[in-house]
Amino acid sequence: MSTVPIGPIHPVLKEPLRIKLVLDGEKPVDAEIEMGYVHRGIEKIMEGKHCHKGIHLAERVCGICSYIHTMTFAECIEHISKIEIPDKARYLRVITCELERIHSHLIASAVYNLSIEHETLAMWLLNVREIVMDLMEMISGNRINMSYNVIGGVRRDINREMMDEIYKKLDEFEEEIKNIIEVFETGPLIALRSKDIGILPYHEVMRTRAVGPVCRASGLPESDWRLRHATYQELDFKPVWRTEGDNFARMMVRHEEVLESVRLIRKALEYYEECSGDIRVKAEIKGGKGVWKNEAHRGEVTYKMEITDGGIIKRIMIRTPTVMNLEAYKYMLKTCPTVADAVSTYTSIDPCISCTERSIYIVKDGKEIPVGVKHP
Amino acid sequence: MIKELFRKRSIHVCVVNTGGCNGCDIEIVSCLSPRYDIEQYGIYVHNNPREADVLLITGPVTLQWAERLKEIYEKTPEPKVVVAVGACALSGGIFKEGHVIGGVHKVIPVDAKIPGCPPRPSEIIETILKVAPKAIAMREKLIKEKMEKNEV
Ligand code: SF4
Repeated sequence: MSTVPIGPIHPVLKEPLRIKLVLDGEKPVDAEIEMGYVHRGIEKIMEGKHCHKGIHLAERVCGICSYIHTMTFAECIEHISKIEIPDKARYLRVITCELERIHSHLIASAVYNLSIEHETLAMWLLNVREIVMDLMEMISGNRINMSYNVIGGVRRDINREMMDEIYKKLDEFEEEIKNIIEVFETGPLIALRSKDIGILPYHEVMRTRAVGPVCRASGLPESDWRLRHATYQELDFKPVWRTEGDNFARMMVRHEEVLESVRLIRKALEYYEECSGDIRVKAEIKGGKGVWKNEAHRGEVTYKMEITDGGIIKRIMIRTPTVMNLEAYKYMLKTCPTVADAVSTYTSIDPCISCTERSIYIVKDGKEIPVGVKHP
Repeated sequence: MIKELFRKRSIHVCVVNTGGCNGCDIEIVSCLSPRYDIEQYGIYVHNNPREADVLLITGPVTLQWAERLKEIYEKTPEPKVVVAVGACALSGGIFKEGHVIGGVHKVIPVDAKIPGCPPRPSEIIETILKVAPKAIAMREKLIKEKMEKNEV
């Protein structure tokens, strides 16, 4: 048996992480995952700060899913202090959140296609993604890390021209993405590299606690937290799911979720047109404890926090989806015949490492160094 | 000689995330897309420090990365250019009070900085093109002069 280390910097990994694959011949039999490269101690910085400052830190937990983190943060505080936000803000939040979901799924798909050596499709996906990035820039003013949410609403309103633009760009986008999905679905070489590889069966989902698209591809649609969100219920949201549980199913779930998001955005825009009034209310923050969950692009994200009157954060805990999916990765390895498949299976769970690393301890020369002590 | 003449139009880039939020990294991935098409300028992103001319560093340097980053810097062959991307890599940014060392300049020498959180893809490409060819050619010359002096 030999081990192959992958990472911390590797062509298909966007982020630093070390995977040690244990090989028997060419077949991977086990994996050891070494994390801790991007721990920054965000929760610790947040403690004792006002939540208007905290929301910017929550945004930078992860760059790809930055919006959903601010949304969960704001909704958690609104839940604790019982703030009703205006209808307009609710729909605007859904629109931006779904736009970001599209961009996140497309980048996941592009990276997967790069890892199975299908560069053409990856480039197409990156190119249609730019349409979505333009829309996000138009709505919020920045491409990534939008700072669009505030406690009690959103920061900017959209006007008639913007709405027309969104409708127009969405039509354009839908046409292109449908074409790309067809290519992915029918490509024989793509099927060879992705079907029946990295299977996570239904009964093992329970053991690994996998979440998000990974879990829905193995036949568990209830795992989608959007089903329990009031605004999404209003918009008649339907989860996408499959039963095969292999790499192909995971990518197809993402692709179909993109189409579902487009439908949600259109519907939210229709509802938005009928509302009037403000986009933001004055938030009076009351102290207390609370938990709030939302469906991020990779699975459920949980915020548990305790705040004082006036909004100083006492204690905060963030739980992100990738930890559970990385655990599921070890089960998927059983059906990976080669190292190349192990790498593409890794990208198919769409890991986000900067989300994952919430706590660490450092070992140097056999000694544990408490975190927070600066290096000499 | 090789880098001075030919590698001006063929710059190999290695992206190192030293603890950022990923925002800067995906903006670098966006550079690959046909709209920005980084490869048409002769810049090739392939993440292997042993072949790289330019190290693109994103994010504040976390405690775990400090030693590793030095190793990677030493692995990269001379002449090399280090570009710090984003507010975090400049100064530690929003994570200044966290478990980080601070900007990249505290660990290794930095040649160029791109502010922004995250900077736009066009800015990243522009900076690489402005800094890399000249700096690499200049350093190649210096190294050659040094070698000649030693030999004489
Ligand atoms: S500069 Fe901004 S986008 Fe870039 S890594 Fe830092 S927080 Fe993220």
